[in-house]
Amino acid sequence: MRRFAYYPGCIAEFSSKELDATTKHLAPMLDIELLPMPAATCCGAGDIAEAKPNLYLTLNVRILSQAEEMGVDILTICNVCTLNLRRANKMVKEDARLLESVNEELVKVGARPYEGTIDVTHLLWYISTEEGLALLEKQGPKGLNGLRVAPYYGCQLLRPSSVMGFEDPDKPQSLERLITALGGEVADYEAKSSCCGFPIILAREQVALKESHNALSQSRDAGADVMVTPCPLCHLAMDAYQRKAEAANATEYNMPVLHLPQLIGLALGIDNKIMDFKRHLVPMDRVLEAVGA
Amino acid sequence: MAKTTFDIFRYQPDVSDAHYRQSYDLEHEGDFTILDAILRLQDEQDGTLAVRYSCRSAICGSCACKANGKTVLACMSQVEDVKKEFGTETVQVDPIGNFAPLKDLIVDMDPFWQKFKSVKPYLIPDGPAPEKERIVSKEDMQKLFRESACILCAACYSECNSLAADPEFVGPAAFAWGYRFAGDVRDGQRKQRAKLYTGEHGVWDCTRCMYCNERCPKGVNPRDAIEKLGGIAFQEGRSMKDAGARHAKAFLISMRTGGKLNETVLVPFTDPVKAHFDIPFALQMIRHGKAPSPIPHRIQKLKEVQKLMKNVKETI
Ligand code: SF4
Ligand code: SF4
Ligand code: FES
Repeated sequence: MRRFAYYPGCIAEFSSKELDATTKHLAPMLDIELLPMPAATCCGAGDIAEAKPNLYLTLNVRILSQAEEMGVDILTICNVCTLNLRRANKMVKEDARLLESVNEELVKVGARPYEGTIDVTHLLWYISTEEGLALLEKQGPKGLNGLRVAPYYGCQLLRPSSVMGFEDPDKPQSLERLITALGGEVADYEAKSSCCGFPIILAREQVALKESHNALSQSRDAGADVMVTPCPLCHLAMDAYQRKAEAANATEYNMPVLHLPQLIGLALGIDNKIMDFKRHLVPMDRVLEAVGA
Repeated sequence: MAKTTFDIFRYQPDVSDAHYRQSYDLEHEGDFTILDAILRLQDEQDGTLAVRYSCRSAICGSCACKANGKTVLACMSQVEDVKKEFGTETVQVDPIGNFAPLKDLIVDMDPFWQKFKSVKPYLIPDGPAPEKERIVSKEDMQKLFRESACILCAACYSECNSLAADPEFVGPAAFAWGYRFAGDVRDGQRKQRAKLYTGEHGVWDCTRCMYCNERCPKGVNPRDAIEKLGGIAFQEGRSMKDAGARHAKAFLISMRTGGKLNETVLVPFTDPVKAHFDIPFALQMIRHGKAPSPIPHRIQKLKEVQKLMKNVKETI
């Protein structure tokens, strides 16, 4: 049993509850124990970094320190949380003076100082290694029945590679490995690591909808039955905003979008009620039919 | 002796409007960069092949191109490394992206220089000049260390996702230079710069795809500079002046009031007009359980966070 401090991020706790619920259901099946972090804040999503950079750093180190106190690494299910936490971790691990000044602030408000000993990983990274795939294998997956799945990475789980570092950002393969291992077929396309536009979707909707068009149109043209993403923000941009993207780009995609744990859940036969596809805007019917769920 | 096929993008507008590809084989040994290859092809096989270069040592910023789709400096990129990295015997060479080709690997850089100029990339000190020089401390100079290394090669524009969607986006290198001067203690235009950089197509239009940080051959990290410009805009009282700024402000409000993102604040705060008129979309979201919860979340030990928000000083 591997224990992690579980950091689902705000979107999975609110807008995309289906992601959180599926992850929690899946974890014990994969020999993972998820420990809650009741005092953890939002990572700031890049927005707080863009308004108050020192505050971003201090808040994220505070989260790292909470996991350190629990004696475990952090597991995330969101690209953006992963980048923000890892970046803060790298900044203070590489600069003892910076860590010291951040710790001063933490101690002043009664928070625990950070020693720089923990790591932050994403569920995709954990599960797509050889050991991770073996955990899936042990569950005897009923498989995806040749479902054509378009891997969609988005940006922030890959870049900047100096912070993320799990795989080559120009030739990522973790989702492909997972899809194949689960008995799906990979629908490959170029825009799988281009931006979904979500960070600017509220402030610059038309620009953002042009961005999501790349992956949506290309995955459709690659004959995908469904897209899968490790990031709930990408999910919102690709699923909740898909009709808007269709209108803005005068085309149709009809591309259902799965959260990463839902893809695993389909292959392992997790109850659809838990995965709660009704919360998606693009209907999942053809996918469920194809895998016989 | 190694052998490589170079598959090169061609465009010779004085002959025809066609974009096409042409393959050339070369034998080479020892250190051999993409630029070495192109220059030898020019010399030995095809004098019409056009490329822009000058220093051949990664400092003039002329030779950015794409090697197997990835933006690099041609003079800094070893052919054997590219082949190994992509597991190919062929190297595809293309002009950088997001600019119109002029001839073969040469693109029209005018929009890049216009954007560069638009950020006023020079010191504009306040008040009368001192008798001797204006002294800057080592610490103050350290803050601009990364941005000062920019060689204006435009590799960061080549795969910028915001630029691809909006050709008017001012873009990464220009903003790196913006911070280079907005963050300089000798500059007297911090407030004016904050305004200049944060309008439509400005700082808040960056979609955070991180390609600029990934591709920059000089470690400038333009996205980080954009972030710092956002911070300066907040310090200079622009936190309510743009939908992008209000989006960030909504995160700060959520943080103070509950410690987590409060979606009830985020949408109407960012764009009150749209939130009001986009009822069909809102209804759809509600039908699928994506309505923001009316009861904001509250983390444990929120006091710590509220105190941090008061205490932590920004040092941009
Ligand atoms: S920031 Fe880097 S990639 Fe962009 S122009 Fe400057 S040196 Fe080139
Ligand atoms: S992070 Fe922003 S500026 Fe940099 S390449 Fe992406 S959109 Fe462009
Ligand atoms: S030729 Fe000067 S940077 Fe490559």
